[in-house]
Formats: sequence, C-alpha cells, structure tokens
Amino acid sequence: MTVDVLDTVVTAETPEGILLELRPAGLSSRLYAFAIDWLIRLLALYFIAIVTGPLGGVGAAAWFILYFLLEWFYPVAFELARAGATPGKRLFKLKVVMDDGLPITPAASVVRNLLRAADFLPMLYGVALVSMLSRADCKRLGDLAAATLVVHEPRATPKRLLDAVVPLAPAHALEPRDQAAVIALATRAPFLTSDRLDELAALAASVAGRDSRPGPELTRRVLGVAEWLMGRRS
Amino acid sequence: MTPLQFEALYQGEWQELETLLQGFFRMRRSAAAPAARQGERLATLYRRVCEQLALARARSYPAYMLDRLEQLTGAAHQAIYQRREFGLAAVKRLVSLDFPATVRAHAAYVLLAAALLLVPMLIVGLLVYCRPDLILSVVDARTAASFEEMYSPTAESIGRLRTANTDWMMFGYYIMHNISISFQCFAGGLLAGVGSVFFLVYNGAIIGAVGGYLTEHGLGTTFYPFVATHSAFELTAIVIADAAGLRLGHALLLPGRRTRLDSLVSAARRCAVLLYGSTAMLFIAAGIEAFWSSARWLPPGVKYGVAAACWLAVLGYLTFQGRARAA
Repeated sequence: MTVDVLDTVVTAETPEGILLELRPAGLSSRLYAFAIDWLIRLLALYFIAIVTGPLGGVGAAAWFILYFLLEWFYPVAFELARAGATPGKRLFKLKVVMDDGLPITPAASVVRNLLRAADFLPMLYGVALVSMLSRADCKRLGDLAAATLVVHEPRATPKRLLDAVVPLAPAHALEPRDQAAVIALATRAPFLTSDRLDELAALAASVAGRDSRPGPELTRRVLGVAEWLMGRRS
Repeated sequence: MTPLQFEALYQGEWQELETLLQGFFRMRRSAAAPAARQGERLATLYRRVCEQLALARARSYPAYMLDRLEQLTGAAHQAIYQRREFGLAAVKRLVSLDFPATVRAHAAYVLLAAALLLVPMLIVGLLVYCRPDLILSVVDARTAASFEEMYSPTAESIGRLRTANTDWMMFGYYIMHNISISFQCFAGGLLAGVGSVFFLVYNGAIIGAVGGYLTEHGLGTTFYPFVATHSAFELTAIVIADAAGLRLGHALLLPGRRTRLDSLVSAARRCAVLLYGSTAMLFIAAGIEAFWSSARWLPPGVKYGVAAACWLAVLGYLTFQGRARAA
C-alpha cells in the first residue's frame, strides 16, 4: 500500500536492505544557517584584518590567502571534520551527508562548495533559491552535482511510559495496525490537551469495552490498553 | 512479543553498540585504526540491529523505539561504510597517477579548452597589435595606461603598479584572484557549459589584447620574460579547470543513456581530481609570478630558459606521468 504523503523524507537503502530515513532541511533553516556562517566569516575577516594590517607585505599576503580560503574552503573544512557541518549548520542541527546517508567525501564536498559560484548566479543565490524551492529534497545545484543532501540530524523521541495508568487487556483482538495506533496515541498523550485526548480516545472506544462513554474514564481505559499492548501486565 | 519484551531482550546489545560507536567516532580523530576484534563485534552488532529494526518496523513498535534503532543503524552504517580518502598516501597517488591520468582521460575537453583560450588570445592579440586603439574597446584608457606603467622598463618590479609594493602581497593576491577564476570556470560548466566557454574566451581576449598592445608599444622585452615562466602553470591550470567545467556542461547537454542528473553526478565526481591538481598548479604559479617573474635583476635569457624548462616539465608531466610502461 502506498500513500502519497505531504512529507519530504528521503530514504536511502543500505546494503543490508534497511531503509534509512533522511530528513532534508528546508530553505528557511538552511538560510538561517547560511546567515550565521556568513556572520562568522565576516567577523573572522575583521580580526584577520586587525592582525595582518600592521604586518606589511607578508600581512597582506596572509590577508589575501586567508580571504581566499574563507571564501571557498570554509564549508569544505567543516564538512570534512567530524561534525559534517559548518558552525551555522550545527547550530540549527543540520548536517551534510551523501545521498546514501554516508559521511560526505572530500570530492563531493569540494564539488558542492565550488559550484556555489553557479548557484550564486544571477545574484544572491538566485539559481540556488529556484532549485531548492522546486525540489522536495531541497537541493541546490551544487548538491545535485555532488550527490549530497543537507539533512536534519535525527532527534531521539523521548520514551514516555504512563506509569500511573493501570494496564487493561483490550476488549477484542487488535490488528497490528490498530495496536500501533493505540500505542501512538499513548505516546502522544503528554503533549495533548485533555479535551483533545478525550476526543481521540473516543475514536478507539471499542478497545476499552462496549459500554464506555467519551470522557476521562474512557481515556484512562484506552491508555491502559496501550500500556497492556506495550507489555505491562500490572 | 510485546514492545517492552523486545526492548528488554535486546537492550544490552543496543547499549554495547552505542558505546562501541562512541569509542569508534572518538578514535577517528586520533586516526588510530579500531582494533580488529572490536571491528568484528561492531559488524556483528550492526547486522543484528538491522534485523531488529526491520522487525520493529514490521511490528509497528512505538516511535521512540524505532527512532532509537534508526539512529543506531544510521550511525553504525556511517561508521562501517565510510570511505577514507585522506592522508599522504592519497596525495601521493593523486600527484603520481590520478591527476595526470584524469587529464589524459579528458584530453578532448582539455584541447577544446586550450583552443578556447588560445584562439581568441591570438586573434585579439594580432588585431590590437595592428590597430592599438582597439585596446580601448576591451579596457578603458586608464587601465591601458596602467598596463604601460606595469611593464615599462623603468618599473621597479615588472607586472604590477607602484602602489602594490611587495612580492608577498602579490603572492597572496595572485592566489586569491587566479584560483577564484579557475573555480568560476569550473562552476560555469553548470550553465550548460556556456559559463566555462565565456570565461575562457573572455580571459583569452584580455590577455591577447594586453600582449598585443604592449608589443606594439615596444614593451615586449619586459612583458614576455615576465609571463613566460608562470604561464606554464597558470594557463595550463586554468585550461584544466575549464575542461572540468566543459565536461559538466557536456554531461548536462548530452547525457547519453543516463538521466541528466545521473550523468552530471558521475561527471562531477571524476572532475574533482582535475580541480585538486589545477588548484595546486595555481599555487605554484602564484609563487613563481610573485617572486620570480617580477624580479628585475634576472636577465631575460635566464627567464626564457627557466620558462622553457617549466613548459616542458608541465606538458611532459601531464603527458607521460603515470602511464603504464610499454612491455
């Protein structure tokens, strides 16, 4: 069964046949990250200018070379380091990886960052903007050519068990899909208002016995079923 | 099996894999190879966690557990399948084999790029030599005058204005300016090759105009000894970077039996080697241009001799280095 979902998840298959899910970063978070990096570079250049200014010719050489390196290789250096991301990207929990989820290779990093010159055209990253907005995986030209992807770093969903709830056997046997839905409701319970929780629990009323009416009592019993399905028995 | 039972059963393995991975990623920094036994254990645990993830997904276990398994699998996948391309051995291989071999593999692009640079250079050079006022259609009058000053026989150092005073400063400037141009030549390939063609023709025309203008003004005796040596590295490197751009453009325009994207990706992957080599050559060129070419005390004869040696060395390196020996 395939469903068209409004989601931008990219799946990468490992040689073991496991599909890893990568979540491409959208335009806004990448834009913020870029702005931070831009500011960092600006500050770095300012301090370099202060230091190299009084040094005469050698200082001027250092200035030109450092300017060149910052302009072209600032992202390359950080992407090839352990974090796989520039400070700006790290701040927004982004990371550059290959299309198959592996760490970025030196060649890919060089290609994606040198092609910035093409992305920048006609002005202010115009080509990159169009490319990123028109693709679900939000790649700019450099990413396309280098086969790289800017992704959100995976975030762990905290485990939440509802210790206060008494486990309750379901009133009838449940399909795996229904089991998963009830458990998913329980894990979301702490984030929902009690009214909304009651409303959603009412949809699953049948699992909690026949004579239940919507309300906190039913909700407690549905959550109890979820706990039972998770494996708690007392 | 309920999710909690599943978790209790495999918890130990997950924690072991987590600590192994932490140790592994910490070690990568110190470049120490992980102990063989550890690597074996890592691979075993990785395969098992893959299986467990597949099971957990099939059984629709709760999100927190799937997330944890996915993260573990992802991290272990990165640790096991990462490619190492760093290190001195890689650099040595690049210099002795990969770079010249890749240049030869792209010989058609390199020759086309060379033609794109040289033909406009010669045509514009001859035109300007015959009708010097044509220089004004390429650059404005003040720039033309500054060329004369830069290459006048009385200039303190050749090839620069009096305001730019030291070799070191020019070294830095050449690096920034020339390598940025080569990168632009490469990136221009993404515009269906048009950018790469434009940059070369434009730069060729400018160089030709300056050469023709100065020759006509009788300043050839300072200009040619100046450019002869570093151009061996500089022009060749720009041509190679541009050949990489042309290859990208070609891959986009005529992808053959692949998708355009696929063809672009594989072209870009191969072209990266051309960029490494070209950039290194431009560093060498900048050093020569700043410290050797501009030196006034060297007689032109010496400069021509060294220039010939450099041209022979560069062309010989690109043509012969790393070829399989004939039997």
